[in-house]
Amino acid sequence: MKRIEVWTSVLALGIVAGAVSALGQDALPAPSPIEKTLAERATHVTEVTLDKNMLAFASKFMDGDKDGDKEDKAVKEMIRNLKGVYVREYEFDKENSYTGAELEGLRKYFESSDWSPMVHERTKGVAQGTDVFVKLVNGQMQGLFVLDAEARELSLVLILGPIDIDKLSGLGGNFGIPKDAMKKAQKEAGK
Amino acid sequence: MEHKDWNNEHELAEFERKLRLAMQHREAPLGLKQRVLARARERRQSQRGRFWMLQRIAASAVLAAVVGGFAVYRQVEERAAEQKRGEEAREQVMTALRITSKTLGRVNERLVVNSR
Repeated sequence: MKRIEVWTSVLALGIVAGAVSALGQDALPAPSPIEKTLAERATHVTEVTLDKNMLAFASKFMDGDKDGDKEDKAVKEMIRNLKGVYVREYEFDKENSYTGAELEGLRKYFESSDWSPMVHERTKGVAQGTDVFVKLVNGQMQGLFVLDAEARELSLVLILGPIDIDKLSGLGGNFGIPKDAMKKAQKEAGK
Repeated sequence: MEHKDWNNEHELAEFERKLRLAMQHREAPLGLKQRVLARARERRQSQRGRFWMLQRIAASAVLAAVVGGFAVYRQVEERAAEQKRGEEAREQVMTALRITSKTLGRVNERLVVNSR
């Protein structure tokens, strides 16, 4: 009798853990507490949080049939399978309006074991730099995290879901993810 | 001439007799008053019933028009609100991609500069 109870408990725990893990993979993170302090100091803040449902809803209003709306069509195609988009942009009137500890805190908050570092760049002496992480599953890009800290601007981009680099690059020609860095990240993830 | 006068008098007397007979007070048949009153009541009730029916039909038509109009108005309003929410979501997607594009472009530039 006791054995059955133990096995039932194990099974229940397994189901709960599986559900939490599945949810955790698809769900967008809650805003980091650091964001609030950054927003208070910033002169201009842009915050965009779109989950899977919201992306699907938005894609309904992207009419690719209209003439001259190629961008809409491309974006619709690109966001179709995405699980979430989380973007923050802070603009400051003074340089060095954030600390290195805050940057590190943000990086740690969003980073998890699933992510492979693609770019890690720091400017000596100042709290500026760039971090790019990708989430690779079977060699496929399933997530992108970018933390770019400039003198007066801090940008944070988190995209969850399958990302087609070619499509991303095709959008206005500005989504230039360095191919070498991508290859390097793929190699590291394969290790 | 005398004969003619006599005829006239006779006719007048006959007329007077008929008139008297007609004007003579006679009792109404038994139950006439009740029958007349009942018929009048019936007529009034039927008229009132028809009036009520018409009123009900008119009220129902007005109610149906009001409810239908409200439903259509709500539907149009909901569709407009959804359209607005959709446009906002679309704008948010575009803003997110614009920032992503800008950020990645900057990262790329920085890497290109550093690799030189």
